Amino acid sequence: MKTLITVMGVLALAATAAASEIHAPAQTSAGSAISISTSGSGDATFYLIGPASATKQKVQAGSDVPIDGDQLDNAGRYVAILCASDGCTSTSFFVTPGTANRLGLLVHPSRVPVGKANGISTVAFVFDNFHNLVLKPQPIKFSILPKNAKEVSANRESQNGVAWIRISSANKEGATKIGAEIGHADEVRVVQQVAADACNLRIKANRAKENFLVETEPVRDCSGNAIPDGTVVSFTKSDSAGKTTVDVPIKRGIAKVEMPVQGPARITVASGVVTGNELEVSASR
Amino acid sequence: MSAALRYSLLVITFAMLICAAVVLRLGASAAAGAPHVEFNADNIGPREIENLTSQSIPRDYGLAWQTMEQALDENRVGLLDGYFTGAARQDLKSRVVSQSKSGLHTRYEDRGHKLEAIFYAPAGDAMQLRDHAQVDVQVLDRGKIIYEEPLNIEYMVLMTPGADRWLVRQIEAVPSEKQ
Repeated sequence: MKTLITVMGVLALAATAAASEIHAPAQTSAGSAISISTSGSGDATFYLIGPASATKQKVQAGSDVPIDGDQLDNAGRYVAILCASDGCTSTSFFVTPGTANRLGLLVHPSRVPVGKANGISTVAFVFDNFHNLVLKPQPIKFSILPKNAKEVSANRESQNGVAWIRISSANKEGATKIGAEIGHADEVRVVQQVAADACNLRIKANRAKENFLVETEPVRDCSGNAIPDGTVVSFTKSDSAGKTTVDVPIKRGIAKVEMPVQGPARITVASGVVTGNELEVSASR
Repeated sequence: MSAALRYSLLVITFAMLICAAVVLRLGASAAAGAPHVEFNADNIGPREIENLTSQSIPRDYGLAWQTMEQALDENRVGLLDGYFTGAARQDLKSRVVSQSKSGLHTRYEDRGHKLEAIFYAPAGDAMQLRDHAQVDVQVLDRGKIIYEEPLNIEYMVLMTPGADRWLVRQIEAVPSEKQ
């Protein structure tokens, strides 16, 4: 009889002192409020540990703990912990990214020579309003908006939050806008298309007192775009005095230099890896 | 041997001993702390990974975890500046600050990472990776353990190149496909 009473007493005690428990939804969306239910009784401490926060508050075990949406902005794994007089118990849940509504756009390079196949790399990252990467596939529209030409666009679906495209630069120099769009959000970057390497580099020489004035014709690339001022053109003269090279920046579309010549001489021109015509001149009058 | 020469030799020997001790200490702290990272770039694209980058990524990612674990254990935001940037740095700093305010800290026992590169931007300016991390986590409130759990957790990671290293720009725990 005594044993039975003892067993019943222990069972009754166990029933009244049931350990606290905590339950959260397995998954929720970023920025959405949730309620975490707890069981047990008495004063307790509630902790919420997330990717960008770790909070602590006094609660009553057995009550629901409301969690505001702004405490769940960051996607990732959260741990909710309840510590009461009988110890601590925990549960974890995932916050998944919200609706795709923002884009991060990487366009490289910012200056590209004209006519370069696949010369522009464009990568779009898909984010929600809280800057969480949205991993579910999303349709992205990439657009190229040249200054004086029709818009060209291409659609891609993001994979793991990323979509990309390679774009060839146009044959005409000038700024072009490259954009990406998702829903109501869009991002635009400007790429400057500049002349490519010089093409058909040609020089002429005229006598100027004791020297020769050597100058290029307007320096252009193969598509007819003017090579920008400041690009270096190298003039090399070979005569009886030896070989001399002079580097001259292009000014107003042409490069020119005055060279003293002794006897017969050969003058050549180059810009980068491009060579131009050769001239044979003589200092004899 | 003159006294001046003897003193000079003594000073040089002493300086060399100090340098050796510093080098040993730096080497030991780096070797002891950085977790093991197993790197796989077999499925990377569209750009092929360069040899040097394939060495830098696991090294820098491991060092990022080392500094993050230390920052969360010691509540030191400054440690996050070395290997984190952008949203990742901002979020982790915010976590450390709120941990510190609540008297909490988090301890990690890092059992290693399986890091898989899944996207490398054509211009080489961003890399996306998937990390399968194995860590034992403890959360402590004023020294008392309130939570501990061994975790197998998957992260989606975005890294971008910095001046002399790759930096973690985004790190997001995701439910693994098994869950």
